[in-house]
Amino acid sequence: MKKKISAGILRLNKQVFKLFGKHISKNQIRFLAAGHLDILESERSGIGFEDRTSGRQFIDAFSSAGCFNVGRMNGEVIKALDDPDISDMGNYMVLSRNKIEFAKKLAAVSPGDLNRVVLTGSGADSIECALKLALGATGRKSIVSMVNAYHGHSGFSLSAGGKDYYKQLFLPLKPGFIYVPFGDLDAMRKAVSRDTAAIILEPVQGEGGIHVGSDDYLRGLRSLCDELGIMLIFDEIQTGFGRTGRLFYSEYSGVVPDIMTLAKSISGGVYPNGAVVYRDIDILNGFVDAHPGFHDSFGGGSEIGCIVSSKVIDYLVDNVVWENAGRMGDKFRKGLDRLMEKNPKIIREIRGKGLMLGVEYLHEFMGVLMADNLAKEGVFAAYSGNAPQVMRFMIPITAVERDIDSILLKIEHAVKGMRFYLALMLPLARVMIFRNILNNVNVLIAVNNFLRKLHLA
Amino acid sequence: MNTSINKNIGEWESLLRDAASVFSKGLIERIKSEGLAMLEKGGHGSVLVDSTGKEYIDCFTSAGSFNLGRGRADLLRVLRESARQTDQGNFIAISEEKAMLAQRLASFMPPALECALFTVVRGEAMDAACKLARGFTGRSEIITVDGGWYGHTGFSLGMSDCCERDLFGQGIPKITAVPFGDVDAARRALTKNTAAFVLETVQAENGCRYAEEEYYASLRRLCDEAGAILIVDESQTGFGRTGYRFSFDCFKFIPDIAVLGEAITGGMFPMTAIAFTGRLKSFFDEHPLIHLCTFGGHDVGCRVAVSAIDLYVAERPWENARRMGGLLFERLDGISTRYPGMVCGIEGKGLLFSITMKDEVNARRFCVEAGGSGFVCARGRVNGSSVVLRPVLTISEDDVRMIAEAVENTLKTMNKG
Ligand SMILES: Cc1ncc(COP(=O)(O)O)c(C=O)c1O
Repeated sequence: MKKKISAGILRLNKQVFKLFGKHISKNQIRFLAAGHLDILESERSGIGFEDRTSGRQFIDAFSSAGCFNVGRMNGEVIKALDDPDISDMGNYMVLSRNKIEFAKKLAAVSPGDLNRVVLTGSGADSIECALKLALGATGRKSIVSMVNAYHGHSGFSLSAGGKDYYKQLFLPLKPGFIYVPFGDLDAMRKAVSRDTAAIILEPVQGEGGIHVGSDDYLRGLRSLCDELGIMLIFDEIQTGFGRTGRLFYSEYSGVVPDIMTLAKSISGGVYPNGAVVYRDIDILNGFVDAHPGFHDSFGGGSEIGCIVSSKVIDYLVDNVVWENAGRMGDKFRKGLDRLMEKNPKIIREIRGKGLMLGVEYLHEFMGVLMADNLAKEGVFAAYSGNAPQVMRFMIPITAVERDIDSILLKIEHAVKGMRFYLALMLPLARVMIFRNILNNVNVLIAVNNFLRKLHLA
Repeated sequence: MNTSINKNIGEWESLLRDAASVFSKGLIERIKSEGLAMLEKGGHGSVLVDSTGKEYIDCFTSAGSFNLGRGRADLLRVLRESARQTDQGNFIAISEEKAMLAQRLASFMPPALECALFTVVRGEAMDAACKLARGFTGRSEIITVDGGWYGHTGFSLGMSDCCERDLFGQGIPKITAVPFGDVDAARRALTKNTAAFVLETVQAENGCRYAEEEYYASLRRLCDEAGAILIVDESQTGFGRTGYRFSFDCFKFIPDIAVLGEAITGGMFPMTAIAFTGRLKSFFDEHPLIHLCTFGGHDVGCRVAVSAIDLYVAERPWENARRMGGLLFERLDGISTRYPGMVCGIEGKGLLFSITMKDEVNARRFCVEAGGSGFVCARGRVNGSSVVLRPVLTISEDDVRMIAEAVENTLKTMNKG
């Protein structure tokens, strides 16, 4: 399992950290190190990679927040790059056969009358496009988003975000956004009016801590939107392309949003791309016909991106990968539920759908410790900086039964490993003031980096 | 022969119908009226090849992405090989590719701009620059100039001087524009509440307007005095386009943040970036992972970019751009004086040109007729009466001659019609 690493590679690794610290961010290394996420990935394939420092094999339980739906370094997708006609990205604005073919393919697999496509370059780019489409088409001013929503970091996508943590240093952002609690239809009813251009949500909140939108909730939103002429935007950037056990999460409820945003996994992890798909309805078509250049993405929908993304869709469809995600997700979920029953002092709740699973720990400080313990077992799992008590498990959805057995075993070991720390910390955590200190991210990072050093020494 | 033409036309029309139904009718009307009604198959050297095999001199180059020439086999090889060795990686993670590109870019930029953040589309890069300025200074006001164009995302759109900006309700607040080239206006606008002053040195989408060297030197000084961050958008002007590595080299000043476009990969990979000072980087040390971007710093893209920068260093395309730009400018200038009724003027730096036509109708007609004369180009987004010419930077004297002739032929045809 564990490979011997040459002195040359180890020297190179040191150099990488040094350069990263010098030119990008030193504290990012410290932050990642606290959760044992300061790992250099090599030999990426299937559901994981090898740690270039320890030589240990890792399961990738983060998947760049849901990008690797065809597995890591999928040979068939990579082969698409061998297309002899490829010369470069091509000119944005100029059409090509590959761009049209990709858009048609995407429209064909999208639910309901989601038949129209705008090509984009990233998740944030898709969100910008979707918000502008809704605002432009309705001529209305306000948008309702969700508390804890995550839509990206560009100007408007950040404005739509429901976490102050990401926004507070950059204010003021675009006005007109209202944030309501996820899943609360009554709150939504009170928030919307005939001045609402759009309701935007991730039908399963990802970064916010894996909150699953129920069928009733999504249907409720749909009828509210129909009643008031509001555009319903589903951000399926994480949930899309099979992650939740359907090709798109909206298929569970049968709710067709007016606008759907996509990115991440459409790239196959190989070449960036994104898209917005919208319904073939007059209000949206009219706007786009009048303003066809309302969102020209220069790097998005490139020639190469479209060739790769077409292949990704083919692969997902040919292998019905979402069904696998559903089956493996059920198995994974059952295992986690059993683990929770056995460890009520550590795990509070398991949430999710398909292979988009979240484990909520009892205390915030546990996220960092678990990340560390999981890394020791060979599982790369990220806690989020501003909700460290929730850990996302989003392994590549091409995983097979054996992989699920293996990751469950590793998680079980990691939970066992927690007991050592908990003997120390749980008594402290009972006292409010200590709990606050422990749950402070900066304290956590310092403490855990210290513990890691002790452990190494 | 005839049947194959008919077959091509048949296929073209059926694809166009498909495109109209999957994109929009408006888009098809737009590409037709803008002279871009073709299916691009690819490109090599200085030309774009359409699906029928017809070649055009590419004077659009995806708004200045293909500075090293179209269809670079060496970069394509790097892309293919890299994709077999690695993938995008986890975006939060440290990687050799990110570190190496950051170092390579630092060695390519002026020493002061030694730090970097990698992004995907140009607008995102500019948005990140504005956020960095706000975050670092703790101030909110952003000053820009009239006539600029930066992209389609929140901050970028808010600073861009185009009608599309007003379609989406109120944008990001605290953005104001002052007249370009006006030092006094800049002085009045820059206060202790100013986070950033943002501009392009050469306004590619606005008739390639630029100012005197002193203007940029004054801005540099005024920003320093006010404690504001000077942001320059080099997404069109960078990587040799103006006859210098970066346009700020041409105008002899150094910004705090430079926004870089897809030319960073030679147009082989959707990557953009911001390069900034070590002083500004302290913000990302204090707030790690505060600006996230899934495909930013894509490991495959980083490798492509490192190779592209190697090529820039080896080939120094800015030298050719300066020489060929000089030749082309002379020819175009001569031509424009022969068509005083249609052409109002020529402006440009290096291989970034703008022909300002009498009005938008004529600019559109120019772009449509250009195809018949064997080249493609696009109108300016801010000044719709302008036509931008930005060929690859590796063109030869023959290419210069051909472009000049094609421009003249286009004007001749318009004169007849
Ligand atoms: C639901 C959702 N929306 C939008 C985004 C932003 O995507 P990108 O990072 O490509 O800009 C993300 C990325 O994590 C996401 O998870």
